[in-house]
Amino acid sequence: MPDIKVTPLGAGQDVGRSCILVSIGGKNIMLDCGMHMGYNDDRRFPDFSYITQNGRLTEFLDCVIISHFHLDHCGALPYMSEMVGYDGPIYMTHPTKAICPILLEDFRKITVDKKGETNFFTSQMIKDCMKKVVPLNLHQTIQVDEELEIKAYYAGHVLGAAMFQIKVGLESVVYTGDYNMTPDRHLGAAWIDKCRPDILISESTYATTIRDSKRCRERDFLKKVHETVERGGKVLIPVFALGRAQELCILLETFWERMNLKAPIYFSTGLTEKANHYYKLFITWTNQKIRKTFVQRNMFEFKHIKAFDRSYADNPGPMVVFATPGMLHAGQSLQIFKKWAGNEKNMVIMPGYCVQGTVGHKILNGQKKLEMEGRATLDVKLQVEYMSFSAHADAKGIMQLIRMAEPRNMLLVHGEAKKMEFLKDKIEQEFSISCYMPANGETTTVVTNPSVPVDISLNLLKREMALGGPLPDAKRPRTMHGTLIMKDNSLRLVSPEQALKELGLSEHQLRFTCRVQLHDPHSDTDTLGRIYTHLKSILKSYSIQHVPDGTVIVESIVIKVTSSAEEPNLKVILLSWSYQDEELGSFLSTLLKKGLPS
Amino acid sequence: MDSECLALLPAVCLVLADPKQSPPDDTSLEKLLDWFKELHSQSNGQVLLQHQPCLLEFISSVCTSKTTDHAILAFTLKLTGLLAATTQGFHLLEEGGLLVSVFEREAWCVCDHWEDASVRSGWLQGLLNMLKHQQALDFIRGNGLIKVILQLQNDRSLFVACLANQLLVHILNFLTSSNMTNGSDAVGSSELSLRPDWVSVSSEIMNAVVEALSSEDHPQVLQGLRLLSLVLSQCGEPIRSTLWKDVLVPLEVLVNRGSESLMKTLITVLQAAVRTPLLSQSEYKVEVLLEAMLGDGNRKEHFQCAALILKLEKCPEVLKRKAMNIILLPLQCVSTQPQAEKEIIVVLKEQLSQKASCISLLMQSLSSLAELAHTKYLFEDISIHSVTSSVVLLLRMCSGHCPSSLLHINAFTHLIGCCKVQRCGLDTLGALSVYEENVDLRKDIFGVLLDCLQSPDSHATVMKKTFQAIKRWIVECLPFPDLLQFISHDLFPVLEKRLCDLRWEVRDSTLEFITQLTAALNGYSGFTEALHNSGMVSVLLSSLADAEGYVRASAVAAVGEAVTVSFHIVNNNNLLEEALVQMMSVLSQDTEGFPRRAVVKVFTSWLRGSHPITALDSSLSSVLSLGGNDFDWEVKMHTLELAEMLMEKTLTCCPYAIQNFGSSEETHFTQALSRLKAYGLFDLLLNSLFDCDRPVCEKACGLLVKLRTLTAETADLNHSAFVLNVCGNRWENEVQRRCLKKQPAKASVCVTNLVSKSDEETDCDLHCSRNISLYKILQILDLDDMQRMLTLSSDHVVNSPRSLMEDILSAAQQSEENIVDCY
Repeated sequence: MPDIKVTPLGAGQDVGRSCILVSIGGKNIMLDCGMHMGYNDDRRFPDFSYITQNGRLTEFLDCVIISHFHLDHCGALPYMSEMVGYDGPIYMTHPTKAICPILLEDFRKITVDKKGETNFFTSQMIKDCMKKVVPLNLHQTIQVDEELEIKAYYAGHVLGAAMFQIKVGLESVVYTGDYNMTPDRHLGAAWIDKCRPDILISESTYATTIRDSKRCRERDFLKKVHETVERGGKVLIPVFALGRAQELCILLETFWERMNLKAPIYFSTGLTEKANHYYKLFITWTNQKIRKTFVQRNMFEFKHIKAFDRSYADNPGPMVVFATPGMLHAGQSLQIFKKWAGNEKNMVIMPGYCVQGTVGHKILNGQKKLEMEGRATLDVKLQVEYMSFSAHADAKGIMQLIRMAEPRNMLLVHGEAKKMEFLKDKIEQEFSISCYMPANGETTTVVTNPSVPVDISLNLLKREMALGGPLPDAKRPRTMHGTLIMKDNSLRLVSPEQALKELGLSEHQLRFTCRVQLHDPHSDTDTLGRIYTHLKSILKSYSIQHVPDGTVIVESIVIKVTSSAEEPNLKVILLSWSYQDEELGSFLSTLLKKGLPS
Repeated sequence: MDSECLALLPAVCLVLADPKQSPPDDTSLEKLLDWFKELHSQSNGQVLLQHQPCLLEFISSVCTSKTTDHAILAFTLKLTGLLAATTQGFHLLEEGGLLVSVFEREAWCVCDHWEDASVRSGWLQGLLNMLKHQQALDFIRGNGLIKVILQLQNDRSLFVACLANQLLVHILNFLTSSNMTNGSDAVGSSELSLRPDWVSVSSEIMNAVVEALSSEDHPQVLQGLRLLSLVLSQCGEPIRSTLWKDVLVPLEVLVNRGSESLMKTLITVLQAAVRTPLLSQSEYKVEVLLEAMLGDGNRKEHFQCAALILKLEKCPEVLKRKAMNIILLPLQCVSTQPQAEKEIIVVLKEQLSQKASCISLLMQSLSSLAELAHTKYLFEDISIHSVTSSVVLLLRMCSGHCPSSLLHINAFTHLIGCCKVQRCGLDTLGALSVYEENVDLRKDIFGVLLDCLQSPDSHATVMKKTFQAIKRWIVECLPFPDLLQFISHDLFPVLEKRLCDLRWEVRDSTLEFITQLTAALNGYSGFTEALHNSGMVSVLLSSLADAEGYVRASAVAAVGEAVTVSFHIVNNNNLLEEALVQMMSVLSQDTEGFPRRAVVKVFTSWLRGSHPITALDSSLSSVLSLGGNDFDWEVKMHTLELAEMLMEKTLTCCPYAIQNFGSSEETHFTQALSRLKAYGLFDLLLNSLFDCDRPVCEKACGLLVKLRTLTAETADLNHSAFVLNVCGNRWENEVQRRCLKKQPAKASVCVTNLVSKSDEETDCDLHCSRNISLYKILQILDLDDMQRMLTLSSDHVVNSPRSLMEDILSAAQQSEENIVDCY
């Protein structure tokens, strides 16, 4: 039986770097190629030696698919393609291809800045890697080769995020990447066809949570910023150049406009300009509201948000500053933090994940005294807030997607084991399908039973109808008999005669023969007569003929009697029957072996 | 060992052992283990265990708790192994029966924890960590753990199975290590002279390998083969030859069965065997097995095997030649008539008529050929000309051209526009440039490469490979006069067309190629003339305004290189002027970092060259000022590198001699400093010293230290001549603050007595005066201390164990769970 194999190298029962291998119909596909930002050695990348020992990934993989631009989904891509070595195609959507190098570059810059960093990719490698990327549009079916095709669906989550359907022949897998089922301020909700894949590989970050609406979290955020600004405090929001930053900018911009606030909002990095450019460029990927208002005013051209100069940090009075990097471990965000940390009127809002060891991680864990370089201590008096704005499907959303796609099997990744367990049970109960949750390095094998579509000839159908069968009904499967022929890459069920004609074959008759000996003192003709009478009494509904040439015929079965001159009482009964009457033939031979009634 | 860390350890152990606490993030546990490993390598492990009873308590409480998290369990297993790696540590753990309760198989096998792959992996890693002494091996053997490890070899988790194999090899190695046996390394030298109880260990493992290889279960065979190849490559004698003898029969069966799915693993085994002395002894049949795997060379597996055999460094020549003949067959079959047996050709042609197998066979053929070329393999049975011609013909087919004599071959239709074969073929053609005799074919070769570039349908990755191949061939054909003709008449017009390609990838690769070509042909006046006369230079200049940042950056580099090779041309001024204007506009206005970085790098490379700086004089101060104020720290770094080059060029009166200025050279030095000041170099260095990005500060600090040394060495230098204006500069506050800190008493006096004349009081003048001498600033800054601090700092991703423990503790106190957010 054919099967599909799924092996996560990352994201199997964890929310680390995503990297999932799928083997389907003899093709090998890598889904996402993420990086773990918490390590500064080889542990940050998936261990590709498990795929192939000789490092020749191009020979093994048919293609790589990247679901979206977050680094835990694409961060190891330049390492894989340029350092380990992969020359095959990499697929992602147009916005992902545009934004991905910005984030990779952003992270490279903060990584090479650190001491002791080795084995990390360069700018040139990022560029060379991006040259291998084949961009695609939503709902566009891409033929990777003769057998393998992929198709992208809208996933929400971040600009350009996509779910992918991977199809080889009649087998298919859908990989969701990260997605959300509710529209947010600038993106729409995920959507997919009722494509009935053999396996739906879904993220499960919020597997057990029914999340409060994002609107509540946004209201909270605005309230906190507003209160701080009102009391004359300064708000620092450490961000990475792209993604969440744009979302929060739109949020503050509209709030400032509505409330007619005067406190300045600054953005500290030049990268934003390019980021905003992409958000403008890919306006079709945003939600309907943004698309509609685009004609009147571009949401991404901000009226209240101005470029930051380092001297502004010392200005008196309230202000809001977006500064990079997002983990408060270097650069401008850290410099501003050091200036503002001592004042309890100020606030820092952390909107993203912080690696252990960074100032961001420490203050989120409530540390109030930070040791800076030279053992000088920094007192953290400002308010520290954590705001999660990430857009993932919650348990309800995941169930909704299953209803949409109607998969035959479910496989959960990108979540915590305990939460996955809970969701797995729920899915199995509600949908009566198998749900898997392999750990990293574990292979899940799903046996597929692909239904093979067959055309039926009109003649055969008519003949069936003539026999008085019911009219064909798609909802009521029924058995049809005919000859299955494979011709010109298609399968057809036709009548045997038609099959012979089409294939240019002549019919051969296959007959079974059998000899039965019995003692009968009568003449051969009489014995045959006795056989005729005997059968006539047993096989009442069959047509039985006694032909004058010395044979008895029952359907296609021919019966003759002979005897030898030496032993005239020993009769040899010859039976011969065609393949169609095999059952009856066997029955008669067994019957005659028992002898004739006296 | 840091006493502060030791003080924190008990609290950390309590937090980790508390089942009510959710475990810290996975990286914290891994990093904590890294720290323990480091301690162990400094042989402080047993000291740690003796002085830190909390560790024993921690291990014990984790093992007895039924509710401990899997991550903590796995961590504890690894840690216990690590602590037991010394004999003292081992005894301490064994005394209370702790070691048995941690690793005992019955306890594990019955509980749910074992279902988790991370726990099984932790168990194996723990044993691997522990196995550093005899007692550890006795422990593993005595508790029947070998059996569990062998079972884990077939674990459903790839990671666990792999680790089990590693552990088994480690055990075998350990058995035969010099202090355990007295065996020699000669093949089949002696029987194992081990302790009798250890013989049972080795035979248990070896029997398992034999059993696995004879099994009908495919995954089990695979695992057996994997272990076998590990043993061959990592174990010594007599384990290696003993095991080989045992597995030879099942191995022969597997080889002769020729199963496709086992092919790669079988070759890995043989590859490992070839590297051992087993190869040279006929009774071990390594060569026979390899030959058997090659078969008659008409099946897909045979080609795979031939490709793998060609990769072997140490391989009998006869075998290698046979493999080569097999691997070249598909290529020859498509392009010429091969000289092979008819039956083989029939089978091969059948395979080549199907698209998928045709592509895969040809790619195998091509990549093996490229590998042979890398080693400059000497082809004996076949001429390199004919091989190269075949590759050229194949590439022509990919571009849609096929000689009528070969039209009947089905493969042709599969090859038209096939990127995979094209990319591979171009790599191979590039690699074949190492054979000098191929230069005769250059017309054909350049012809087909040009075809690839000319076709608008060529994929961007194909274009890139074409450029790489052309570059290799141009460098190889350099002395030939017809080369310049080709470049100016054929290549340049195509390149100009490609610079207008819709795809940024193609435009960028073209520019990168032009840069490399220009650099490679620097000094060939004919090329420089062609560059100017063909109008290529103006196309390059217009690329500086490309819509894509990557392309603009490559255009900057290309223009930079074009200017460099044109410095000796008399009418170069126009190009330089035009280039300077446009580059300054890129540096001041470009929204992306790459082009700005490229501009600064080009300036540095121009300075590095031997031509006079004067042409650049007018722009240098702007570059330093713009680059120094850039918001991209890498632009700032490149600007500091430019400053370094400028210092080197300006301050050296003769090349390579920066120091020891004699009295006659003082004037030169004074003039040089004045020039640097005019460029704004000192402002750049001092501003950068207080930058928010550490690498920038560090670089600036290094340069200032260099400057300080030079100024101090020139004793008679008139310091008052080099006065800098403090006001309005970023570094003003810092200099003032450091001045006050250094001289608090004097400073307060100074505030009251505004005027002071003596030399001693000049320090005090610092915060009263607007103008301060450079010399004084360099003295007051305490650059050595700053440099030390900057070297110590690690950009606040604090990697110290103390910080890690503090993070674990504070995370435990944090009641509210921060939902993991992704970025």
